[in-house]
Amino acid sequence: MTYLRLGLVLALAVVCAHAQQNNDRHSIGVKASQIIAANCVGCHGAPIKNAGLDLRKRDTILKGGERGAAVSPGNPELSRIYRQVAHLDAPHMPPGKKLSEEEIQTLKTWIERGVPYEDILDQKEEEARAALAKLEDRPITPAERKWWAFQKVVRPAGMKSIDEFLLDTMRKKGLTPSPAADKRALARRAYLDLTGLPPTIAQLKEFVDDQRPDAYNRLVDKLLDSPHYGERWARHWLDLVRFSDSGGFEYDRERDNAWRYRDYVIRAFNSDKPYDRFLKEQLAGDELYPNSVEARVATGFLRLGVENNIRTEQTRMDELDDIVVTTANSLLGVTVGCARCHNHKFDPIPQKDYYRMQAVFFGTKAEERPLVSDEELKKHKDAVKAIEELQRPIRKEMRAVEQPTRDKIIAKRKSELPDYMRLALATPLEKRTDGQKLNANQVEKTLENIREEDLIAEMPLAARAKRDLLQSQIDDLDRQKPRLDTVMAIMENSKDAPASYFLHRGNIGQKGSKMAPGVLSAATDGEWSFPAPPADAKSSFRRAGFAEWITSPDNPLTARVMVNRIWQNHFGEGIVRTPSNFGKMGERPSHPELLDYLASEFVQSGWSVKHVQRLIMKSAAYQMASDDIEANIKIDADNRFVWRMARRRVEGEVIRDAVLATAGTLDGTVGGPAVYPYIDPALFQSSSKRTWNGKAVNDPSTYRRSVYVFSKRTIPLPMLETFDRPDTMSSCARRNRSTIAPQALILMNNEFIGIQAKHFAQRLEREAGPDTTAQVKLAYELALSREPKADELAKAIGFIQSYPQGLVDFSHALFNINEFVYIP
Amino acid sequence: MNQRFFSRRELLWKAGGGIGGLALSNLMSGASVSPLAPKAGHFPAKAKSIISIFCYGGVSHMDTFDPKPMLKKRAGETIPGKTIVPSQGTPGGLMPALWEFKKYGQCGMDVSDLFPHVAQRVDDIAFIRSMHCISNDHAPALYQMNTGSIQTGYPSLGSWVTYGLGTENQSLPAFVVFTDPRGGPIGGAPNWGNGFMPASYQATPFRPTGDPIVDLKPPEGMTPERQRKWLDFMGKLNEEHWKKNPHDSELAARIESYELAFRMQTSAVEAVDVDKETAATRKMYGLDENITEYFGRQCLMARRLVERGVRMVQIYSGGGNFGESWDAHWDLKENHGQHCAETDKPIAGLLSDLKSRGLLDQTLVIWHGEFGRMPISQRMSGRDHNPQGFTVWMAGGGVKGGTCVGATDEYGLEAVEKPQKVNDLHATILHLMGFDHTRLTYLHNGRYMRLTDVEGEVIKEIVA
Repeated sequence: MTYLRLGLVLALAVVCAHAQQNNDRHSIGVKASQIIAANCVGCHGAPIKNAGLDLRKRDTILKGGERGAAVSPGNPELSRIYRQVAHLDAPHMPPGKKLSEEEIQTLKTWIERGVPYEDILDQKEEEARAALAKLEDRPITPAERKWWAFQKVVRPAGMKSIDEFLLDTMRKKGLTPSPAADKRALARRAYLDLTGLPPTIAQLKEFVDDQRPDAYNRLVDKLLDSPHYGERWARHWLDLVRFSDSGGFEYDRERDNAWRYRDYVIRAFNSDKPYDRFLKEQLAGDELYPNSVEARVATGFLRLGVENNIRTEQTRMDELDDIVVTTANSLLGVTVGCARCHNHKFDPIPQKDYYRMQAVFFGTKAEERPLVSDEELKKHKDAVKAIEELQRPIRKEMRAVEQPTRDKIIAKRKSELPDYMRLALATPLEKRTDGQKLNANQVEKTLENIREEDLIAEMPLAARAKRDLLQSQIDDLDRQKPRLDTVMAIMENSKDAPASYFLHRGNIGQKGSKMAPGVLSAATDGEWSFPAPPADAKSSFRRAGFAEWITSPDNPLTARVMVNRIWQNHFGEGIVRTPSNFGKMGERPSHPELLDYLASEFVQSGWSVKHVQRLIMKSAAYQMASDDIEANIKIDADNRFVWRMARRRVEGEVIRDAVLATAGTLDGTVGGPAVYPYIDPALFQSSSKRTWNGKAVNDPSTYRRSVYVFSKRTIPLPMLETFDRPDTMSSCARRNRSTIAPQALILMNNEFIGIQAKHFAQRLEREAGPDTTAQVKLAYELALSREPKADELAKAIGFIQSYPQGLVDFSHALFNINEFVYIP
Repeated sequence: MNQRFFSRRELLWKAGGGIGGLALSNLMSGASVSPLAPKAGHFPAKAKSIISIFCYGGVSHMDTFDPKPMLKKRAGETIPGKTIVPSQGTPGGLMPALWEFKKYGQCGMDVSDLFPHVAQRVDDIAFIRSMHCISNDHAPALYQMNTGSIQTGYPSLGSWVTYGLGTENQSLPAFVVFTDPRGGPIGGAPNWGNGFMPASYQATPFRPTGDPIVDLKPPEGMTPERQRKWLDFMGKLNEEHWKKNPHDSELAARIESYELAFRMQTSAVEAVDVDKETAATRKMYGLDENITEYFGRQCLMARRLVERGVRMVQIYSGGGNFGESWDAHWDLKENHGQHCAETDKPIAGLLSDLKSRGLLDQTLVIWHGEFGRMPISQRMSGRDHNPQGFTVWMAGGGVKGGTCVGATDEYGLEAVEKPQKVNDLHATILHLMGFDHTRLTYLHNGRYMRLTDVEGEVIKEIVA
């Protein structure tokens, strides 16, 4: 009895101890789940699971996420959860804060005791959504709204010209403005800046001989009217919108109608299309100007990004990201890319703004829009169909010719199959295992599918000849199919845009609240109201609403950003030196009032780019010399306060164009389909399709201006690439300007440059005659827009006469020297 | 292309040689600091250079370095509970490895008969058998391996490393790429591009025969003497222009770049002149056999380049499309048989040669494709792409040899043990080169960009 009793007591004690332990386990589990519920499940639970991790239940905690198990029961030191909350490993959790020591200790004990857990029950769907919506909100403080770039443009009182603003600052800094540049340098500068081409001898002479007091102003007006002006300034815009003639990615498909957008931009600059209209056409030409072909071409703007041949929800998000980021960058001078995954870290750009802007473009679809009427389109389709009807019997006959060879190949391949595959085929359909079904199906499908080259290789000669004949008949008919001219455009399917969502951490698997279209909150007083689409509309008119906001005179960014870009392209640097970032990580304007003066002039002139350029070109500042002044260098070596004109190395395009113009070989045709100059095959064999339809290196049809060179994303023209052509993947507001030996190698050794040097030498002989002095003088006029100094003349003559190829090498040297590639 | 004008030291060195009468002191006062001047990393590191061997098309891990006996056991069957959707064509059942595996080295590493020569070097190699990447498609997967992003427009690993460390030899490009004779990889130049960085940091493509660089050779009839005379004349013309603006370092840099270009015409040719190597060395790389000659020559050139201070050399095996690359959708046996036969001996030769010259410690050799391949058959005799799990290996440069980290499941379908992202691989490479990957940043469009974006963890297990 006693023993029994004792035993019972003992047993009871053991049970109690167990109960006590279980109780501890239970309570630590409850504590852990409380900590996790309060701090973690917002991002690692429902409805979003960052890193694929769901911390609401024990089994999903043990299963873990992308990084494997979140805990190792009994072993906190090996558990990611513990290491990250204890800040032993990065990334520290929760983001932006640290749990209390007590909480960390609790989680440690919890893991030591084998991860008992009180599963966190799902919140009600609505509650979860509401909590999420709160998480998505990131209000903008009044202080943040005060950032200079978000203030409305205010026209400064008192000052009336660019020069007054600049002189005012120079006076304050103790700087002396540079004297006026000499007339020839000024002419070369104006020509290169406005047309991208050096002046011809006649043009130079006309200006130098013009003694009227307003001769320079006349020159500026004349150059702004030149058709080459649009070619030069379109290039700046094309950089900004990452223009290219191909789609990039795996196939880098050529867009043989992309040039129509390029020509649209050239025409827009040439005709001084009001900038607000220019933007509206590009963002929403289909909605706002449905009857205008021009506006339809303009919507190509939304098609210029790279094109992934894989079409998934993820790649569509990437495409939209490219559109949102490029639009914000190029038109508004703000960076929003970071807000795809989180609120902007420096600027008041909430993640929600990003997804509201994404909603603006969400319903867009690519369209190759025919440039003909519906009636003509129908005719075209009928014609194509008729030809396909003719091809059908030929294809049938070809198949018959091929059949014996096909059968032979199939028999041979069957005999080579591994045993388990043959067994799969031999097993009756109903008896096949899952694996055998797959294999049998694969074998059947694969055997049907014989590659053309394998087929041809196996065909008897006679059959092959017959097949070739039939193939050539098909090809002939293909060539008879009429071509259809199309434009790269955008359309939407319905006036109800498809639903789009806030994506937590930018992850398509973590959709938050549904998004309405919106604009940058920090740059608006309140909500921007988007128009309702007309009753018969086929699109949402979200882009129209967005375009109205961007071009509204109250928009604090659009005009400032654009006049700053114009300024930059005349003075080398912007008034804001980070032209696509007017946020906190950008630079502040060197002359804020001048920036506002230009912005208000811009809007008041009806958004006339040429008006702003006239103001700039006709200022005394623009006409200053570019040489250094020792005293100024000590105060402002960077020329931030514009006491001299900037010396600027021209872009690769301008070098190439100037070489052609100087050699006298430039084909100045404006507009049209792109040209394919010669590229060494060694340089494009690395492209997937290796297709570069390059002409011969000396083919004059390729001697067009560089803006017309086919811009293929994976096969850039080496001459342009080496001189920092933008990569066309993202918006480029300011080109890199590197100085590297391969640039020298190209200008020294490249065959195309050598050919142009010979043309240049022949031109000198032709136009100046056999006299070396006259040749040198002419060469200086053509290449450098000036006369040689006496010692330069002597050195050049000495060089030319020192060996037989002297004149060619002299001509070649002029393409290489610094003065040739710098705007004076 | 690379920025390669002189460092200050070299300017002094070449002071005598023809810069056309420019006063040296002036040049120095306005001196530009080359973006490729040698720089220190965040901490000292063994590795100074990288040789990256990129098997474009995607290598089958279960036929090379990741043995899966279950495939043989269950040939022709399905994986319970898994439906595999291939990128193209119809799915088949499990397909066994077409080659046998043996154990090699003191570490007893499994390597298949496809790599008998590399197998002899396993004690120097660390294998990562649990790599996984995002894309199932060649171009984005290549971009991710090279730049960390499946998108284009990002700088490649070589750009980041030369941006961070500069280069040791200012007369050669800092970053060189060799492509396959059958063509380059899909996606083209952005694979070794500078993305948003200046052109100084992009790779220079080298050709393994003839002139290594396009436009390196002067035009027909241009002798070195005539070219020297020509450059001196240009120097005189430049002097006039530059005298007015002696503070302009850009002008000086441009004058310097011509002198460098002039010297590169000889230094680049010398650097890749494998005829200077002994017959024994050439044999080690397989230059005496047709099948290995091309790739072997590239490997030998890579050694000569890193020996001369080039920061990174990338060599592509496989080019063009499908069978020309490792992309064995059809006949795996023929495809991998061919590509391994071309590369196995040269790679092993490179590792041995680097080691015997004491260069392996300071040279990080990396081997990988853009993804692995599927355990099931495709088109009867091939394997489809598999981004969910594959093998990558590294040797030298501070790597712990004879190790292996991570694992795929028993079929080789998915990385399950210690899965490693591409960002982790990049973090590890940067670590081995002396960088904290979170601090190697470049400001672009308002954001401090990183090779590893916002992720990446150093794979500590393979760091010695």
